[in-house]
Amino acid sequence: MLATVLTKTVRDRWKAMAIGTVSLAVMLLFGMSVYRDIDLSLYTDLPEAWRALINIPDSADAASLAYGAIYEFYGALTLAALALSMGSASIAGEERDGTLGLLLGNPTSRTAVLASKAGSMLVLTAVGALLLWGAGYIVPAMLGVEVAGMQVGALVFHMFVNALFYGLLAMAIGAWTGSRGLASGTAVGIMVVSFFAVGLLPLVPGLEGLAKAFPWYYFNGSDPVTGGVSWPHAAVLLTGCALFVMAAVVGVNRRDLKSQTVGVALVDRLRSNPLTKSVADRLAGSTRVSRIWIKTASEHQGLLFVTAALMFFMMGVLIGPMYTAIEDAFGNIADEFPEAVMALVGNGDMSTPEGWYQVETFGLMAPIAVMVVSIAIGARALAGEEANRTMGLLLANPISRSAIVLEKAFAMVLYALAVGAATFVGVGLGSLLGGLGMNMFNIAATSLLATLLGLVFGALALAVSAGVGRVRIAIFVPVGAALTFHLLNAFLPLSDSLAGYARWSPFYYYLTSDPLVNGMPWGHGAVLAGLAIGLVAGSVVLFGRRDLRQTS
Amino acid sequence: MSEQVTIHTEGLTKHYGDVRALVDLDLDIYRGEVFGFLGPNGAGKTTMIRTILDEIRPTAGWASILGFDTHRQSVEIRRHIGYVPGDLAMYPNLTGRDTLTYFANLRGGVDWDYVDELSDRLDADLSKKIGDLSSGNRQKVGLIQAFMNRPEVLLMDEPSSGLDPLVQREFQAMTREVVARGRTVFLSSHTLSEVQRIADRVGIIRHGRLIAVEAVAALRSKAIRKVDLYFDRPIDGARLEPVPGVRDVVVQNHHVTLSFDGHMEALLKVATDGQTLVDITTQEADLEEIFLTYYRDEEAGG
Repeated sequence: MLATVLTKTVRDRWKAMAIGTVSLAVMLLFGMSVYRDIDLSLYTDLPEAWRALINIPDSADAASLAYGAIYEFYGALTLAALALSMGSASIAGEERDGTLGLLLGNPTSRTAVLASKAGSMLVLTAVGALLLWGAGYIVPAMLGVEVAGMQVGALVFHMFVNALFYGLLAMAIGAWTGSRGLASGTAVGIMVVSFFAVGLLPLVPGLEGLAKAFPWYYFNGSDPVTGGVSWPHAAVLLTGCALFVMAAVVGVNRRDLKSQTVGVALVDRLRSNPLTKSVADRLAGSTRVSRIWIKTASEHQGLLFVTAALMFFMMGVLIGPMYTAIEDAFGNIADEFPEAVMALVGNGDMSTPEGWYQVETFGLMAPIAVMVVSIAIGARALAGEEANRTMGLLLANPISRSAIVLEKAFAMVLYALAVGAATFVGVGLGSLLGGLGMNMFNIAATSLLATLLGLVFGALALAVSAGVGRVRIAIFVPVGAALTFHLLNAFLPLSDSLAGYARWSPFYYYLTSDPLVNGMPWGHGAVLAGLAIGLVAGSVVLFGRRDLRQTS
Repeated sequence: MSEQVTIHTEGLTKHYGDVRALVDLDLDIYRGEVFGFLGPNGAGKTTMIRTILDEIRPTAGWASILGFDTHRQSVEIRRHIGYVPGDLAMYPNLTGRDTLTYFANLRGGVDWDYVDELSDRLDADLSKKIGDLSSGNRQKVGLIQAFMNRPEVLLMDEPSSGLDPLVQREFQAMTREVVARGRTVFLSSHTLSEVQRIADRVGIIRHGRLIAVEAVAALRSKAIRKVDLYFDRPIDGARLEPVPGVRDVVVQNHHVTLSFDGHMEALLKVATDGQTLVDITTQEADLEEIFLTYYRDEEAGG
C-alpha cells in the first residue's frame, strides 16, 4: 500500500465525510429532542408491519425512534453513499481526470494504487462511523434521554460494514469497467432496490423470506440497535466485501487503462447501432449542437432516461397493483394511523390508494427524482463549463452571460417537467391497472407540485453554480438545504408551538394540502414557482457580476 | 498599415487579492498588424486577454476593442472576434465537426467551404471526438474555430502550442494572410522565435507590467552581433570585458563567445594584443539574444 496515495485521497475526501456525519449528528439531536417532547403512546398502537417498514422497534421510546429514523434510515444511506462515491472514483476517477497514467508513471503497481484507495475508504468510513458512534452517546446525554439497553455501537458497526459493502462493490465495478458513472450508478441502483425490497417484501404474504436475498437485509434484518451485533449477518456482508476486493484486483490488472475518458452518451450508443442509426444521427448530429439548451439537455439524457424510467415503472406503474396485493396486510386500521409517524414519508393515510401513493411515490421519491435531475443540471450548468475550461470559449461567442444562464435554466426546467410527466403517466397507469380509481387531475397536480419543489432546489444549485462557480459546492448546498427543509417540515408540525414555522420550508407547499385528494393548491404552487423563478433571476445577476474561474 | 486603433487599454489593472496579475497596462494595437505579447509563464499574458474578453473584470482601468467598451459592450465585441484560449479545452464528447457546428450556430453565418479549406490546410480530423484527439490535433480544431468566422480581430493565447513544425508554419501563413486583409491579430507566446517569424510588433510583459513595446524590425536593428573568437592558446576572458559593447563573455579554453554591439576595431585591438587570433566569426544575433540582453537591462534599470 502507498502511504502517500492513501493520505492524499483521505485529504481530498475528508470534508464530505465530515459534513455528512456532522449533519447526521445534528439531525439526531433534532429528531431526538422532538421525540422527547411528544406523546409516544401512539406509536405502540401501530401494527407490526408498519413498524417494520419505518424502522420503529417494539418498545418505542424517544431514543429508539430517533436511532431508527436518523441512523438506520438516513445514516445508513448517507454513510453507504459516501463510501460508494469514494469507491467508484478510486481507479475510474483518476482515469477520467487523466491522472492515473501520471500516478502509474511512478514505480507503483496497479494493485498497490487500488489497495491505497481501498485503505483510504476504509479509514474515512471508520472515522465517520466513530463520529456517529460518539454522537449516538453524546446527543442523548445532552438531552437527558434514556438509552439504557440501546446498542448504538452495534448499530453503527452494522452501518460501517454495510457502507464498506457498497463502497467496495462500486470499486470493483469501477476497476473492471473504468467508468465512474457506471460504477456509482450500478451500486446506487443495487443499494436502492435492496433497501426497498427489504422494506416492502415482508409486507407481502408469502414473500417475506425473499428479503434475505437482498444485502440490505444483513444490515438491519437482525435489528442491531436492540439485538446487538449479529456476527452471522456481518459475516455475510464482509464476505461480500472480500469478494469485491478480489474482483477489483483482478479487474484493474487485466484491462487497458483509459486516458481521460470520454463520456459515451446514450445517443452515441444508439448512433453506433445500425438499427437506430438514422434516427439517432438526426438527434445527435446537428440538432444536438444547435442551441445551448439542447446541448445542455443532451449531456444529461442518460440520467433523465434512468430517472424517468424508474419513476414511471417502479414508482408509478408497479405501486398501483401492489396496493391491491398487500391491502390486507394492513387490515382495517385506517383510524389508527398516527400521522406524526408518517411525517417523514409524506403524511399519507395508507389505507387509501391516495395515501399509499403519497407514501410510496410522492412523499420522498418524486421530489428526490426531480431534484437529482435538476440539481445535476443546475450545479454543472455554469460551474461545470468553468471546471472543464470551456466557458471561455463559449463566452467568446456573441451571447450574453444572462442568455447562457437562461438557456441552461430552460434545459433544467424541461427535464424536471419530463420527470414529473413520467411520474404522472406512471402513477395514472398504476391507478388504472390496480383499479384504484384515483383522480387523474389530482395526480397531475401532485406531479406538477413535485416538479416545482424539485426545481426550487435545482434553481438553488444553479444560483450557487452561478455565484461561486464550483460544482461540488453547487451540489452540496441544495442537497443539504433539501434535507434540512424536509426534516423541518416533517418534525416541526409534531410540536404545537413550532408548527407554524414549517411554512418556512418549501416542502410545506408540496403535500400539506393533500393534493392527491383535494386537487391543485394554486397558492402553494405559486409559492414554489415563485421561489424557483426568483432563484433563477438571482443566478442571472450573480453570474453577470463575477470573474469567471479559469480552472477547477 | 492604417493607424486605426483596434485594441486600446488604459491603466488596465487586475489584482487577485494581493497578487498583482496586471499593473497599469497602456497599450494600443493597430488595424492590420500582428502583435506578439511576450513574457515568461505567469507574467500576466492570459490575465490581459481574459480581461479584455470580459471573462474577468479589471480592478482598475478600462479597455476597448474596435471602439466598444470591453465590459459594457462585450457581446457586440464578440461578434467581431475569434478567440483561442490558452490551455485549450473543448467538449470531449463532441466530434470536431459537432464542436464547430455548435459555435457556428451560436455565431451564425459561417462559411463551411472556408471551414473545409482551413481544415485541409491544418490537416485536421473533424470526424473524431475531441476527447480522442491528441493535444496538437485538438489545438487545430481550436484554431479553425477562431478563424472560421473571418473575424476582424483574432485573440490567441499560445496558439501554436502542441502543433508540429509543419502545421506551425501553415498557421503562421494563415495569420499573415488574415493581417494582409486588414484584420488584426493579437497573440501571446513565450517563445520568441515564433513571434519573430510572424509579429510586426512585440510587447514584453513581466510580473504584470509592460516593460517595452518594440517593432520587430527595430529590435533587429539594434545591431547586436554574436562573435566567436578562436585563439592559439587558452586566454583570459577578463581582458575582453572592458571593451565597450562587450557582453556575456564565455571562455571555453581557446574559444571565446560574446555578444557585441560596439566598434569591431576596438575589439580586434584587444583580441590581437599579445596573443594570436586564429579565427573570428560573427553573426547577426537572433531575437532571442537581443531580447535577453535588452530585457535584462530593462529589469536592472527598473
